[in-house]
Amino acid sequence: MLIHNFEKKLPGVFLVIGFLLLLSLLFFIPTQAKDLAQETEQYCLSCHSNPDLETTLPSGETLSLYISPEQLTDSVHSPNGIECEACHTNITTYPHPAIEYQNVRELSRSYYVACQKCHPDNYTKTLDSMHAQVAEAGNLDAPVCTDCHGAHDVKSPAEPRTLIPSTCGNCHTEEFSIYQSSVHGNALVQESNPDVPVCTTCHGVHNIQDPRTQQFRVDEPDLCAGCHADQEMMGKYGLSADVYNLYSLSWHGVDVSVYDARWPTIQHNSAVCTDCHGIHDILNPYDPNSSVNPDNLLETCQKCHPGVGPNWTGAWTGHYEVSLERTPFLYYVDWFYSIFTPLILWTCCIYVALQIIRIIVARARRSLR
Amino acid sequence: MSQLKSTPSSSPTQVKLVKTFPRFSVSQRWEHAVLLICIAILLLTGLPQKYAASAWSQTIISSPERLAMIQDIHHITALVLTALVIYHLGKACYLITRRKLPGDMLPTVQDIKDAWNMMLYLIYIKKQKPTFGKYNFEQKVTYWFLFFSIGIMIISGYVMWFPETITRLLPGGVIPAAIMAHSTEAIATAIFIVLWHFYHVHLERLNLSIFSGWLTEEDMQSYHALEYEQLTQEPRTHQDSGEIST
Repeated sequence: MLIHNFEKKLPGVFLVIGFLLLLSLLFFIPTQAKDLAQETEQYCLSCHSNPDLETTLPSGETLSLYISPEQLTDSVHSPNGIECEACHTNITTYPHPAIEYQNVRELSRSYYVACQKCHPDNYTKTLDSMHAQVAEAGNLDAPVCTDCHGAHDVKSPAEPRTLIPSTCGNCHTEEFSIYQSSVHGNALVQESNPDVPVCTTCHGVHNIQDPRTQQFRVDEPDLCAGCHADQEMMGKYGLSADVYNLYSLSWHGVDVSVYDARWPTIQHNSAVCTDCHGIHDILNPYDPNSSVNPDNLLETCQKCHPGVGPNWTGAWTGHYEVSLERTPFLYYVDWFYSIFTPLILWTCCIYVALQIIRIIVARARRSLR
Repeated sequence: MSQLKSTPSSSPTQVKLVKTFPRFSVSQRWEHAVLLICIAILLLTGLPQKYAASAWSQTIISSPERLAMIQDIHHITALVLTALVIYHLGKACYLITRRKLPGDMLPTVQDIKDAWNMMLYLIYIKKQKPTFGKYNFEQKVTYWFLFFSIGIMIISGYVMWFPETITRLLPGGVIPAAIMAHSTEAIATAIFIVLWHFYHVHLERLNLSIFSGWLTEEDMQSYHALEYEQLTQEPRTHQDSGEIST
């Protein structure tokens, strides 16, 4: 009887127990997951937090196996639950599989592929980059993700922005030091200016291209125009935002725009911004060392126009509107034709129209007579 | 001065005699022909460079090699035009020294009066067109407009061609001024030739005297009445039909 009753109630008991179990999942699972992850990291760190932990690779290089726990917690990955095994996919437990890499570089170059799992877009972009090309050509020092972003200490890349040039400068030391003394680099270093370009502003980020190509050259005025044609941004620094438009009207600018639009890969030498202003070493034109300072301008012109005399610089109308003070010849010619051309056009039109009317009317009258 | 020319008429047995009057010398006709070809080539090779951004220009200038070729043609034609101008001016100087330069083409006060009367005629204030001599004011305007226009084109053209040499003598500011003048003057000239000159020699009447060298009596009477009177009423005794004085 008792058993019978119990059997009758059995489905209900199961339901209640099942419900309670389900309910408990809600509270239990997230906390458990977190605990597990931390346990993984802690499990790894139980050995790797030892600063003396290291191994010797077949190349003879010493590979430190120490991981600073502080660095890990400061990085973007660890606090978000992305732990050791996310990247070190081949290591699941102790003892680890034997290290097959000959040297430290080979190890970095094979581990960085793990970035692709979560960052496929940026990873794919890097494959088109100049860096990937030189790596393919055999230069294994060409940077991979971790060289710029860091490995265990990976942080949000643009914080602070001043860090970007120094990151690139780890390898491109000469460019970095030149950039630092330029008007752009100086403003970045001195004022942490948020508007000045850093390396990546002009060269791109992951798919960095070879800046020595003709394509890069003819696209370059547009690149500079990205900031220098921005009225609002230029206004902040008292700079003219018309420099690009006026350049486009100049002899050089017209030439370059034709090549840019139609033959971007064909070698052509008409001056683009950097030919006169410099590249990493751009200075304020009023700086006595600037290549476009009036005192140095002739020498700059002579780079492409060898042997021209001192009057030559006057032929450059500058990034200025036509004005009586600056370009008197141009001003008078412009003034003359702004009257002369329409005058000719209208005189001819009106005179010929009157003649035609007169002839047609006369003929119509004769035929009506 | 006049001569008779036979032209076939509708009736095969009858021969109609048309009296013709010489208007341009062989030299002048050749000058015009060379000028015409030069201006046509210069416009055809210059305009695609000026309007490089337009689609029609891009079909002409399809490659940098083509651009270089077009520039070469433009330069060679410019040299021919320069030679023509030197010949024209040289001939004028020669005739001046010989005191033989006819003054027909020089602008006079009468031309301004003619132009005024023509305007009055065109707006129905006057019933009669003014009568003209050898060159009417319209033809003088054509000549002198092109005279100065070609002068500007040649000077500015050479400034653009040899800017580095020019700036040894002149301030650099003339270079961009020459670029602007060259390309703007070209347009003004093209407009002028098409509207003014083509109207007068093609639409108003088909006047091919610059190619044939002569005008008919009828044309002389209706368009160069003063010259016609002069030629028919007091026949000149001397036979000197010097190239320009005809």
